Amino acid sequence: MKRWLAGRVAQAVVTFALAAVLLFVLMRLAPGDPLGRLATQRPLTPDEVAVLRARYGLDQPLARQFTAWAGALLHGDLGTSIEYGRPVAGLIAERLPATLLLGGAVLLVNFTLGLWLGVQQAIRRGALVDRGLTVLSLAGYAMPSFWLGLVLAWLVGVRWRVLPPAGMSDPLLDPAAGLGARAADLLAHLALPALTLAVVSIAATMRYQRRAMLDVLGFPYIVAARAKGVPEGDVRWRHAWRNALFPVLTLFGLWLPILATGSVFVESVFAWPGLGSLAAEAVGTRDYPLLMGATLLVSALVVAGGLITDLAYAVLDPRVRFG
Amino acid sequence: MPSALRRSALAACLLALAAPHTGLAQSRDRRTIVLAVPQQASVPIPTMMEGAASTTGNQDVADQLFLRLAVLGPALQTSGDDGFVPQLARSWTRRDSLTLAFDLDPRARWHDGSPVVAADVVLAFDRARNPAIAPKLAGLLRHVAAVTAESDRRVVIRFDRAYAEQLYDATFHVQPLPSHLLASARAAPELPREFVQHPVGNGPFKWVRSVPGQFIELAADTAFFLGRPGIGRVFIRAASDPDARLNLMLSGEADATDVSAPVSNFQRVAAAPDLRTASVPSPVMGYLLFNQRDRTDRSRPHPILSDPVVRRAIVLALDRVMMVRATYGAYADVPYGPVSQLLWIRRGSPRAARQNLGEARRLLASRGWTDSDGDGVLDRDGRPLALTLNYPLTSEVRRQMATLAQEQLRQAGIRIDLVRLEGPVWSERRSRGAFDIDFSSVTQDPTPSGLTQGWTCHGGTNVGGYCDPAVDSLMERAIAARSGADRLWQEVLRRIEADAPAAFLYAPSYVFAVNRRVATVRLRPESAWRDLWQWSVR
Repeated sequence: MKRWLAGRVAQAVVTFALAAVLLFVLMRLAPGDPLGRLATQRPLTPDEVAVLRARYGLDQPLARQFTAWAGALLHGDLGTSIEYGRPVAGLIAERLPATLLLGGAVLLVNFTLGLWLGVQQAIRRGALVDRGLTVLSLAGYAMPSFWLGLVLAWLVGVRWRVLPPAGMSDPLLDPAAGLGARAADLLAHLALPALTLAVVSIAATMRYQRRAMLDVLGFPYIVAARAKGVPEGDVRWRHAWRNALFPVLTLFGLWLPILATGSVFVESVFAWPGLGSLAAEAVGTRDYPLLMGATLLVSALVVAGGLITDLAYAVLDPRVRFG
Repeated sequence: MPSALRRSALAACLLALAAPHTGLAQSRDRRTIVLAVPQQASVPIPTMMEGAASTTGNQDVADQLFLRLAVLGPALQTSGDDGFVPQLARSWTRRDSLTLAFDLDPRARWHDGSPVVAADVVLAFDRARNPAIAPKLAGLLRHVAAVTAESDRRVVIRFDRAYAEQLYDATFHVQPLPSHLLASARAAPELPREFVQHPVGNGPFKWVRSVPGQFIELAADTAFFLGRPGIGRVFIRAASDPDARLNLMLSGEADATDVSAPVSNFQRVAAAPDLRTASVPSPVMGYLLFNQRDRTDRSRPHPILSDPVVRRAIVLALDRVMMVRATYGAYADVPYGPVSQLLWIRRGSPRAARQNLGEARRLLASRGWTDSDGDGVLDRDGRPLALTLNYPLTSEVRRQMATLAQEQLRQAGIRIDLVRLEGPVWSERRSRGAFDIDFSSVTQDPTPSGLTQGWTCHGGTNVGGYCDPAVDSLMERAIAARSGADRLWQEVLRRIEADAPAAFLYAPSYVFAVNRRVATVRLRPESAWRDLWQWSVR
């Protein structure tokens, strides 16, 4: 297993390095540059532009820019954001908790409620519940997240004033407030963005789980278990559901990068201070160091997601062998 | 668990989530206000707000923390020595045409209790005039020859030439820094980390904390020498999306914010009983810039737009008043020349020309543009009168106006192909001159001398290739004039209008939604929240 793991990790590192080189080159080849936006907002003289280019290292040849960036990266330095004038690693570290919290909440809803609903649909195949849930989940899936976010923010936050329509915390909350009050405040702010993302994404989990469960429920060993008189609950959850989880593992691997990037639109609509909106801002301003930092994180998560999924398959399914 | 019990548990959870929201909204301190702003300040420190950090978000917070020697008066007059309001400087005297002496107010204190002294002004100017630290400021202060401290309370600023905006240059661009904390950073691009994280200012509000991506908290300096602020605590809350800011206002979670076009947003505020609108002149001006050089070969004139008669015809074919009303309602006007509402030189200007389709068609026909093949598009020598119009996809206002312009020009026989571009691509094409018509928007400083950048032959941002030596000469005279400058500026605007290097479309106001619990609201055009300390809460 160690050999297999070392091989997969080496593969992942090579993939990550290739992705980094490609990202760097593609970003610089894209039209526009960080100073273009400034020149359109306020007049900059050529001298000012030259000073700023030198300050941000944009006056260097591309190869030199890359070697400087790669050298710093090997030392754990992601560079300094042009837009914020601060280390990229610090900016990402500031925004990552908000993104992980939002993404984690959505994953939690998807992989608990979504799986459970998928199983319920499968065991009631063709019944009203199955058809109703299919219609509802697909309706949620078809809704653009920003539209749903705007509607929820207006209805729940503005019209009903039940939950805050934006932000991650109430600035008026006393910094010395107890953990309970802070947690309640955080959950209140998390509710609407998490609900928005969960509604538009839970359909995929439900559909995967329903299909996988239906497949497994048709296997001979399930028939045999029922014939032996195993209680129906055990048949469904102990015998069928455990085996129906494997296809969903793939989905989990695909979801992992989304956990880190969140949803740009939802973060924007709810003023959620996450990494997705930071990365989108970096695209719009061509803040190369920040953009590289954010995309490298996503690349790492894509690679890690694949690795974890493979590993989980190998551990959980005895038919899959290392090697 | 019985289903009734489960439902009760769920309801209790929802109530628990909702309770803190409503509870906190009601428990707001009467002297605390929350502002919702588009961007959080990253380095709200004078001489550090350069390059990408030159943002309104930074300047707005810096204006709460750091005072200037003097500020512009209500008339926003930048030329001459009258009309400025003292702040850190109690008074000033003109020694000769090149020298101004400022006497600092002895009551002024830094937030750590140290007095504000002449060395603080010298330090800030030393940093601001150093191109390696502050290239933009160094450019703006290029006529400042020397800044010296004659005593603890007196600063003398010498200029290398006589011109009308010396006092403006000496006061508007630079906010003094505490020399007792930053003496070692006189020539260093970066300031000490501790100061950047916890700036010590001399303004009406003190820095308390920053929660990244969320808000900045400031507290009133109760010993502020110009008077105790009416607001005790300010939270400046960041929400980049205009809808999110408006939702914060409508839900009672914020007390003031800017409101962006379209008109429906203004109507939402007007319909909210808790809110009212306030507006001030803004420094923004939007225009369709005509490229007078060939977009593929800058050495050649543009085959269509190098002709001033064609440009004038395009301007006359546009119903600019309708475009402005449709987009901004009553909160914008059509400027006469490249002048935002902020610039004092707009006073006394005539109205911009109204739409005149007949005259536009006549002008085009006089230059040989006729619809020879009956397809609705004018042509000449087999070439259709077709142009591209570039605009950035991030601007909803410009998208809406570009669509209206396309339809209006179609009625005059001009075909416009709209090219919607991602922001950086749009600005890259603009600065390269790779466009026929560019939908530009500019944020102007209060001084009209900034017009030289875009509208003189060798201006740094003159990407449309406009060149009228008479305009250059007039601007030079207007900038230098100690008297009669307004007449010269009017002549500049008249000539620019006649040359029609652009169709000047809109000069909007800044519109703000303010909660009615705020009793005294004073907004400033050049820095919206600058007079926040004079606000009060009912």
